Amino acid sequence: MDRRKFLALSAVAFAGLSIAPALRPAFGATKLEEEIQKRLGVQLLQIKESADIKLTAPTIAESGANVPITVESTIPVDKVEKLYIFVDKNPSPWIADVSLSPMNGQVYFSTRIKMGETSNVRAILKLKDGSYVMATKEVKVTAGGCG
Amino acid sequence: MAVGTGILRVPKEAKKGEVVRVQMVITHPMSPARKDPQTGQQIPAHHLTKLDLLFNDKLVSTINMGAGVSANPFMALTLKVEESGVVKIVYEDNKGGKWEKTAEIKVS
Repeated sequence: MDRRKFLALSAVAFAGLSIAPALRPAFGATKLEEEIQKRLGVQLLQIKESADIKLTAPTIAESGANVPITVESTIPVDKVEKLYIFVDKNPSPWIADVSLSPMNGQVYFSTRIKMGETSNVRAILKLKDGSYVMATKEVKVTAGGCG
Repeated sequence: MAVGTGILRVPKEAKKGEVVRVQMVITHPMSPARKDPQTGQQIPAHHLTKLDLLFNDKLVSTINMGAGVSANPFMALTLKVEESGVVKIVYEDNKGGKWEKTAEIKVS
């Protein structure tokens, strides 16, 4: 190996090394992905968006401390096992999970949640056959409500 | 109001097989673990962890939650009623508090 080649190679290697840490966050799992992996046991990317779930939330929240959300679905309740609510950018993305039974009559859950900053709200339904479907809505928050 | 006081609201009367809405509000700070900005002291979390909805002592739904739910949480679920009975909610927090609240539904 002559000197020129060696220099070129080491330059490439060095550039690679210095870029790698900067790229890490993009490759590493985010808090939301970790939380979903932990609680649901599946990857976020494997969950399909579905039009059968209706997630009602304000487009702009007056206060992040009190964001009313409602989850409804046309999927019959006896096919649904559990309902999860996540907020992407909260310090702890998991908000609540609700186990449903046929005695509920329909898929319906309404509550008020805290949001630290503008981000997506996700409602994920776990169906009896083990699959997951989700609905996403972005809520803009002007005054955060965490902590 | 004292921590843990709950209000449970259901319709007084319903038709057989009707899907009614069960609404509840619980007085609770729902505070996460955090540091006091002035003193730097660690304040432990104090929030509800679990709420069970029962109808005639049969479990209908369980809500698990963290500090991500707003203070004085409001929650609403649905319930399909086939017979008259008692709706009961049992809820507990991470400091060992446990409360319950009941309401009656008359089905015609």
